[in-house]
Amino acid sequence: MKTLKNALKAREISSLIFLITIFLLVGAINPNFLQIKNLFLIFNGSIVYVLLAVGIAFVIISGEIDVSIGATLGLSAAVSATLLRDGNSWIVAVIAALIVGATVGLINGIGVTILKVPSIIMTLGINGVVRGLSYVYTNGKWVENVPYAFKSISQATMLNSLTYFFSGALVVVFIVHMLLNKTGRGRYFAAVGDNQCGAQLIGIPVDSTKIKAFIICGIFAAIAGVIYVSRVGFVTPMAGNGYEMKAIAACVLGGISLTGGLGTVVGAAIGAVIMSSISRVLVFLQFSSDYDNTITGILLIIIVVADALIQRRVTENARRERLSARTLSDKGGYNNA
Amino acid sequence: MQVVEAPPIMDTMISVRGICKCFASNLVLKGIDLDVRSGEVVALIGGNGAGKSTLMKIIMGIYQQDKGDIFLSGEKVNLTKPALALAHGIYLVPQEPMLFPNMSVEENITLGFKDKKNELHTKILSIMEQLGWKLKLDRKADTLSIAEQQLVEILRGLLRNAKILILDEPTSSLTFNEVESLFTLIEDLKNKGISIFYITHRLTEVFEIATHVAIMRDGVITLKGPVGEFTKDDLIKGLLPPNTNLKTTQKSEVLDYTKLKPILELKNFTGYGFKDINLEVCSGEVLGVAGVVGAGRTEFATTIFGMDEFISGQVILDGEEITGLSTRTVLDKGLNYLPEDRHLNGIFKIGDAASNISSAHLRNLSKFFLNKKAEVALGEKYIKDFRIKVTGQNQIMGSLSGGNQQKIAIARVLSTSPKVVILDEPTRGVDAGARGDVYAIISQLKKQGVAVLLISSDFEEIVELSDRVVTMYQGRINHRFSKNQIDLDNLTAASFGVYEEENVQ
Repeated sequence: MKTLKNALKAREISSLIFLITIFLLVGAINPNFLQIKNLFLIFNGSIVYVLLAVGIAFVIISGEIDVSIGATLGLSAAVSATLLRDGNSWIVAVIAALIVGATVGLINGIGVTILKVPSIIMTLGINGVVRGLSYVYTNGKWVENVPYAFKSISQATMLNSLTYFFSGALVVVFIVHMLLNKTGRGRYFAAVGDNQCGAQLIGIPVDSTKIKAFIICGIFAAIAGVIYVSRVGFVTPMAGNGYEMKAIAACVLGGISLTGGLGTVVGAAIGAVIMSSISRVLVFLQFSSDYDNTITGILLIIIVVADALIQRRVTENARRERLSARTLSDKGGYNNA
Repeated sequence: MQVVEAPPIMDTMISVRGICKCFASNLVLKGIDLDVRSGEVVALIGGNGAGKSTLMKIIMGIYQQDKGDIFLSGEKVNLTKPALALAHGIYLVPQEPMLFPNMSVEENITLGFKDKKNELHTKILSIMEQLGWKLKLDRKADTLSIAEQQLVEILRGLLRNAKILILDEPTSSLTFNEVESLFTLIEDLKNKGISIFYITHRLTEVFEIATHVAIMRDGVITLKGPVGEFTKDDLIKGLLPPNTNLKTTQKSEVLDYTKLKPILELKNFTGYGFKDINLEVCSGEVLGVAGVVGAGRTEFATTIFGMDEFISGQVILDGEEITGLSTRTVLDKGLNYLPEDRHLNGIFKIGDAASNISSAHLRNLSKFFLNKKAEVALGEKYIKDFRIKVTGQNQIMGSLSGGNQQKIAIARVLSTSPKVVILDEPTRGVDAGARGDVYAIISQLKKQGVAVLLISSDFEEIVELSDRVVTMYQGRINHRFSKNQIDLDNLTAASFGVYEEENVQ
């Protein structure tokens, strides 16, 4: 029990160990995998997932879920890509994308808190709406001809081959981690996800905290969308489709509990690197990368089930302890009629 | 119970006047007036559903009153949310501590404060030192015992400079020593001028710790004043319905136990929430199990029924041990249970009447396909016997009245032809007419030689129906009553733990 608790304490650490183990195992089978060049490719390639996972981590830690982030990424990518194509400055494109993301997040948040729609349903519906809007906005066509100058940003590197984007993402993860864990306001998210009634009782604004989480999630999805445009260079109406599963799996793999209240964005980021490395791992093991989504899904379910079993045990034990505490420990007066 | 409308007084810490609260069409609070001055501990007692918690939740800003006013130090306030109540120095320590299990003790205490961390840290340490408590602040909350969790809750309140503390049954999950230290703490707080609402089910504690007492029943305060003015008997009287003539409740005749055989026997049966339960139930008798909520009655019943794990002891049904068997096996052996919460466990709301009645009996009605004819016959039998008002067997369960739903739930329990039935709060939320029918069904069962274990918080019901009664208090049977000893007075006293150590013959 003690080792279990210690392991739970360092949930990010165990995901990091998991990451290293996978890399070493694959490296043992195919040493080319461990070449610095390849590792940098993996890290640089994970940035979209890292951003999505960090954003959705807010929502999951607050005890909700958001399955609309793939669509939000798609729409904000389409919007920023068309603006760039039409010769607008990148600032305009970024601001427009952020507005798209924040709006979707706000709508999700209002639906979940004020209208009290379960978050899985609310965001599933919004996922459909936003994806549909992507088609309407682009007329179902690809957005191409994004200026080379913008695409080249994603190629710019520092320290040999680490992209500025990835280094920037690392800084963002660190800052967000500090805000979330070391500030009183930041801890509100975990408090709301941990014990909603308890949070209410000590005066934490539950609804507005959740709405904020959804907005932050939407904004991160939008940033991921802009980066997607820079990296890929074109946007299809299906851009970002299915990314929500990868992001949720990344969070879970990074030690964030789907019941809320537990986990860090550092964990989410590590999980995201693992998730985005799966397709490369498959290639290096000479499997088809078509298995990518299947493996992601299986991993997600295994981890969630394991987590749920542990969680159930913990709550059951707590319930029993509470009941036992109620019974008199000394012998009460007996009297047989 | 004349409560004189008193004007709010300047020297009270908190005064409530004419508080009314309605849930749906159910009037839960019917005009509550209450004053607490600085340094007073007001014990609030009352049975289940008396309205204590509702009143406290209104004071805490979780619910809003429909009518009435709250005054703090003579000033009228409008507490629309918990944050406002907190800002006014009111703090509620809930019965089940509401901590954040994944956070450290320190985080749990300091969350919601805007002050500097170091300052808060030293403040917590100084409060703990003042009170002589030891608690590691870096422990995770889910490793704390219930008592420690309660300390954290109280620390939260103290750090907020709470002037009014509400303690909701604080001792219900504490061990004896922990209760002692809690009382020392309350004395301390008293001397510091903090006002305390102390909700409890234990009358002995009232005299130990409270300065004042207020008894609630059915949404009104029936008795209040300084503790010194009352005896335990006065308090018990305040808990009873008005004008009850204690000895004249109509009873059936005394059973001749020499002719009856025990069918269900419990030997030192122990599980989570109850301990060392010894009892026998005979065919053809109704054994009442009285007690307050949380006394362990439901836990004990569900454990017999295989819905929860037991710890030790034996359950013997008709000479055969059924301890720890699965629900399905226990059912087959001839014991059935009517759950406490009909909506949660008792019925299939969108099914029709016939399928609800037959649902426990399905395995006997079908080889593979359901024998529809048999199902209809079964349904017809019970609908007629129990006078269940339905438009037809295919009426949807959810559209029936509470009383009829309950009758169907009972019919289902009986459709398995059990030798023993455990009825847990069989008339809760049931109207007066249907209640009579339920009573008739219970009497009929008795005549047919079924052993009935009747768990009820409605003591009048227990008095009316039971041949013998056991009362449970803090997870143990603390008293047994034979037929001629059963009256409201005795049951209430025993359920509230008053003559725990006495023997009455």
